[in-house]
Amino acid sequence: MLSGSIKSLLLAACLGAGLLAAVPAYANLGGDADSVRADAMEFVGTVASVDGSGYLIAQISTDSGVRVREYLNRDGIVFAVSWSGPVVPELQRLLGVHFPAYLAALAALDRPGLHRTLRVATPDLVVEAGGHLRAYQGRAYLPNLIPAGVAAADLR
Amino acid sequence: MAGGMLAACIGGNGVTATGSKPVTPTPNTMKLTVDTGPSAATGQINHAYVTIKVCAAGSQTQCATIDHVLLDTGSSGLRLVRSVLTAAAVTLAPELDARGQTVEECVTFGGGQTWGPVALADLSMAGESAQKLPVQVMDDTAAGAPPPASCGANGTLINSVAGFGANGVLGVGVFAQDCGAACVSASTPLPLYYGCTSAGVCTAENLALADQVTNPVAMFAADNNGIIVNLPNLQNANGDISVQGELVFGLATQTDNALPASGLTLLGTDANGDFTATYNGGTTALPALIDSGSDSYDFNDSTIATCSTGAYVGYYCPAVAPKSAFAVNSGVGVNNATNTVDFAIADPNSFVANAAAFAGLGGGGGATNFVWGMPFFYGRPVYVGIEQRAAGPYTGPYFAY
Repeated sequence: MLSGSIKSLLLAACLGAGLLAAVPAYANLGGDADSVRADAMEFVGTVASVDGSGYLIAQISTDSGVRVREYLNRDGIVFAVSWSGPVVPELQRLLGVHFPAYLAALAALDRPGLHRTLRVATPDLVVEAGGHLRAYQGRAYLPNLIPAGVAAADLR
Repeated sequence: MAGGMLAACIGGNGVTATGSKPVTPTPNTMKLTVDTGPSAATGQINHAYVTIKVCAAGSQTQCATIDHVLLDTGSSGLRLVRSVLTAAAVTLAPELDARGQTVEECVTFGGGQTWGPVALADLSMAGESAQKLPVQVMDDTAAGAPPPASCGANGTLINSVAGFGANGVLGVGVFAQDCGAACVSASTPLPLYYGCTSAGVCTAENLALADQVTNPVAMFAADNNGIIVNLPNLQNANGDISVQGELVFGLATQTDNALPASGLTLLGTDANGDFTATYNGGTTALPALIDSGSDSYDFNDSTIATCSTGAYVGYYCPAVAPKSAFAVNSGVGVNNATNTVDFAIADPNSFVANAAAFAGLGGGGGATNFVWGMPFFYGRPVYVGIEQRAAGPYTGPYFAY
């Protein structure tokens, strides 16, 4: 199903994330498996991988209860990320090159307030975030890279 | 009459003298107003505000009366915009950690984050008070340490009156502290509380419960086990200009804050502050809360159209309005009631432009939780029980209605 190289990269991430020296500044959404390892280091978490249906999930869990899942398609590209936990992980890092587009879409929303549920959608990027102190959750995905047959609702 | 009123206020228990009329407001009750917001940020919708009095801790003179503080049952702790305090010549002393560094906080609210020091205030609301209350000062004037790179990395900083549509946020949710145990002894401190050097270098750190930003109600001498939010039904389907209601402190502590003996749905929450809801017959139990800090019912329903133009882009614009829906709430733990709530989503483009209160505002497409926001409050009392505090037969945390 998935290329062996992705799995071996993820396995390496499980075993030896701490040994990697070169960490890209930002990667991730739209990035490759190397960016997952970089995230695991940044978030001080451990990585586990599981097969989805036509994609691979790399899950980073920290001891403080933050969980990040990065979804890789068959080409080894991260097409979605999701998160949950007592704080929101750094979206600037998770969204990578797409972060400026997120900020621009945020700025276009003109209702101030607490907004415990947030959705920004452009043709290239969707970010859905919610929750409150102690329990945040959300996801971001690249609609054009979602594998056929995968629904956004599956990206949890 | 004036004497009776004074005695009732000083007594602080809401019991009026024999022969006098009931006093309004009683010392545990304060006015709650839904209007278009503070003068610096008008045009707000479904924001419920209170007016509070804060003083620098220990001071009788360095005090400010601050209007348009947003009532938020979805968070815990008081957060005030620094420029509002400064305009009233009030400087709150920053809290220091064990190393003598200032304690600062970064909190995510939707699309932005607040940043600023934890400081100590004496707070008065109605006849209640909390001394040396740890509050967050939202640093809109960048007077303190700059936020670390991780704060603001989730969007924008929303420290200002314009960002919140309020002069502050009064968090009166189900918890005594905003973070709780997760911030006390984590091996890797959560990026929430920071210790900042005088040079402005900030590092995430753990913080004892007593030093965390605290729900003021939990620090009251009495009436400290929860609150009641009372807002009336709206008069107009297309929006009311303003709404008057009341915020009541304490549950089953006085004659005016009893829990109803029957007809009450009391929903215990988990350690995150959520009960569960299933939407329109679905099978997924969504984390749910009753949240006066949200302006709308927020939930995911991809069959309801989303507004693409107008003043409500991103909210629901049902093709046929009102769109009827329902959700089943279930409590968690021993307070495990189940109750079905019918509600309706309106077309916000039918709302009157200068109104402040709207029933039926919905949004939250893509959400993986369920938020009973402000529309839920119109026409029913909402009870919020603080964790580990008893009220009659019930112990918090819970929401009830």
